[in-house]
Amino acid sequence: MTASSSSNEGAGSVTKRLGNELMTLMMSSSPGISAFPKTDANLFDWVGTIEGAPGTVYAGLTFKISIAFPPNYPYVPPAIRFDTPCYHPNVDLNGNICLDILQDKWSAVYSVHTILLSLQSLLGEPNNASPLNTDAANIWSNQEEFKAQLMKHYRPITSETV
Amino acid sequence: MSTVTDPANSEVYKATVREKWDHALHRMNGDQPGISGLMSFTEAWTLAQKFLWPRDIRHVSDKLFFDQAVLKDAFQLIAKSRMLWILVECFVQDLRKQFHIVIEEVEGFMREYEATTNVEVIKNMIIRLAEWWKAWAPVQELGSLLLTTFNTEFQTHLFSALSPSFPGAFKRLCESTVGSEQDPQLWMAFDVIGLLDRYENLVASVCYEQIDNRTHETCAGVWNEQMLPGLRGWMADQIVPWMILPYARAAKTQEEAKNMLSGIGTRFDYHVCKSLCDLRTSEIFDIIVDYPDSSPALMDLKECLLRVDMRGELVSTLRRLNCKRLLHPGADTKDIITQYVSMIRCLRIIDPPGVLLHKVADPVRRYLRERPDTIRSIVASLVGEGGDFIDENEPPQPLQMQVEDYSDPNWEPDPIDAGAEFRTNKPSDIISTLVSIYDSKDLFVKELQILLAQRLLAITDGKFEKERRNIEILKVRFGEAPLQVCEVMLRDMTDSRRTDQHVQAHRPTILHPTIISKHFWPALQASKMKMPGQFKEIMEEYSKEFAAFKQDKKLRFLSQLGTVDLSIELSDRTIDVTVPPLEAAIIELFSDNEWTIGVFDKDKWSVDELSKELNVDATAVRKALETWIDRGVLSETESNVFKLLEEANGEATSQSRPVASRHAVIEEQTPIVSSVQLQEAEQMRVYWKFIEGMLTNLGVLPLDRIQTMLKFAPNYTRTIEQLGVFMEAARREGLVTVNNGMWKLNK
Repeated sequence: MTASSSSNEGAGSVTKRLGNELMTLMMSSSPGISAFPKTDANLFDWVGTIEGAPGTVYAGLTFKISIAFPPNYPYVPPAIRFDTPCYHPNVDLNGNICLDILQDKWSAVYSVHTILLSLQSLLGEPNNASPLNTDAANIWSNQEEFKAQLMKHYRPITSETV
Repeated sequence: MSTVTDPANSEVYKATVREKWDHALHRMNGDQPGISGLMSFTEAWTLAQKFLWPRDIRHVSDKLFFDQAVLKDAFQLIAKSRMLWILVECFVQDLRKQFHIVIEEVEGFMREYEATTNVEVIKNMIIRLAEWWKAWAPVQELGSLLLTTFNTEFQTHLFSALSPSFPGAFKRLCESTVGSEQDPQLWMAFDVIGLLDRYENLVASVCYEQIDNRTHETCAGVWNEQMLPGLRGWMADQIVPWMILPYARAAKTQEEAKNMLSGIGTRFDYHVCKSLCDLRTSEIFDIIVDYPDSSPALMDLKECLLRVDMRGELVSTLRRLNCKRLLHPGADTKDIITQYVSMIRCLRIIDPPGVLLHKVADPVRRYLRERPDTIRSIVASLVGEGGDFIDENEPPQPLQMQVEDYSDPNWEPDPIDAGAEFRTNKPSDIISTLVSIYDSKDLFVKELQILLAQRLLAITDGKFEKERRNIEILKVRFGEAPLQVCEVMLRDMTDSRRTDQHVQAHRPTILHPTIISKHFWPALQASKMKMPGQFKEIMEEYSKEFAAFKQDKKLRFLSQLGTVDLSIELSDRTIDVTVPPLEAAIIELFSDNEWTIGVFDKDKWSVDELSKELNVDATAVRKALETWIDRGVLSETESNVFKLLEEANGEATSQSRPVASRHAVIEEQTPIVSSVQLQEAEQMRVYWKFIEGMLTNLGVLPLDRIQTMLKFAPNYTRTIEQLGVFMEAARREGLVTVNNGMWKLNK
């Protein structure tokens, strides 16, 4: 009885936190990143959009990601993966991401906004030391070849997907 | 073959004729012996015919004398012989034969009248006709049959001979008798020739017209005294004496006359009321404008309406006039409210239950609801700024909810002409009525806060008693809870003085800020102006002191608000001025003092540079620069570049620009506090961000999805219709596109 009520309380505060994060994100107007809950029924399941930063090989490309918040967020990082195929040294073919702040370096002070910013910069500056996609890590030095591979995997977003 | 016998020769026929003859003879002869009866009958007949013969009075001036007794016997004999009806028949024939004489005369008179339009002619004609009548009429004693037959015949012939212009002429004649010495003979003449019966309506209409004229002449535009008693007095003095002749000629005593006049008198009194009522109804709009000076006119109208059922006309007239004169874009909202308030007061006088008001007020209230500045105007009057909607003598009452209390022993049903949605409107005070234009009073409270903020920030001498009093009054009306925020605002004002004193005690400074609690104040005009030089230093020092004093709070300056007292020392003169902060900031950039030397070493600044340095948009900078140019401190050396005039430039001041433009620049004030509309626009901006966010991530969405998703946005209360309008506006701006009801960002 007590346990369930405390967990309800917890869910309430998580919802509140997510609501605030959404508000901050909406008002931040950082170029090229955005996210929004998938449905109005569930605040724990978001869709994000990341545009490749200008001047990088990803410039002009847009990637969809899905963000799933755990019930004990923000003590545990959200699960994030690319829905759009992303050819990148730190992203595997299933869209899983290897980023320290999403694993062991996670802290409750991070937010959706910081995660999105980190992902955007990760696109242009991969960590080739711990690759998930070794092929991509190997050809990163050759940007032209990388770009060709990237475009081979890339599927542009059609707005009708949702 | 049978013989045809002439029926006249038959025995039966002959016998019948004989019997008839005998009967007739017997009737005339009576029981007299021989034919002596017949002889005396013939004598009587001749006498009667001679007496009744319509003589031409033009020629036979000497009246034939008849012995009344003989005449009476003769008529009795005729009547006895049952021959009277034949006599009447003959008389009618004679009349018909002789009437042409009268007609000739009448035609003569009418021709004269038509040529001269002199009513005297008509008067003479009628008197003459009466003479004819008198000469021809059989005396009363001879039986009423004769007289009535004569009257009918006489009138039939006369009226058929009168020309169509006669009724008009007759009316004019009647009119001419009003107010002048009465002539009973004339009215007698009217009566005998049957004019009064025939033209009764005409005579009455003379009266009605007199009343209408009198009403218009004396009452039109006169609203500052009650006119009804005066009109009734005039009726009693002028019209009633005149009415005695047409309507109470036959009265012998005063009492009798009174009784005869009472019926017709009520009719005319009704007309007095109707006439005044018509007039006042047509003037009602201006009467309301003139209120309270016009309240006597309203009392009149009230009294008239009790007698005359013209409430419907009053309502429709006022509604029409309101639409025409009040509810159009040219009218100031404040004027509309003032008129509405007067209307409430006026109609309450006329009709205390408020049915009339309810019927008239609806379009006005609907119109006011559409005006954007209605709330502002009402609120301004609430806090005593312009407008006299609030009667000082009226004690403030809590806003009333319109609920019928059926347990009230004095409860009365709605008046019969009340509409279906009429609510018994207790004579509540004006403010309650005004506030009830809107469904909720929250809007008022919100606007009230904004206005209060403006007023509080405008107070420089620390006298808040008036505002405090206002708030107390408003608390009575709106209740404690909604005005709590206003309380905090007031307290902020006094607290900031105390805080300031404390800070001054530790570190005396020339800066005296008003410290307000961000959450309790309406959004203040946002500005990111950076104050340069000494101002920056003073503000920073103050912030430090404040932080030490109130450690849990952070001071954020709204540097664009307030005023700065400056003393500008130039090489040849010193100028003392009080200016807005932006002006002060600009002149600081031009000056050389310990804070600016080494930081801003420029003696010439362009508008763009100033704008960038101060983080203020160029038009505002330009305006502030104008102030200094007008004071002869700066000059525009080349287009958009300004320079300090260290030495007064006589030429520059003498060739100062036209005064008008200068004032326009200085006096233009932007409101400090954002209005409700601006705040709404601000809210809409937030919602747009959410819409943009969801469309970016979710692709295309139908309107209802957007509406439900917007629940993530704080305080979202719009309806889907409002959202639709907003999205449509966004589409026109090219931000979104819509296809089959699916909305999409336009990239």
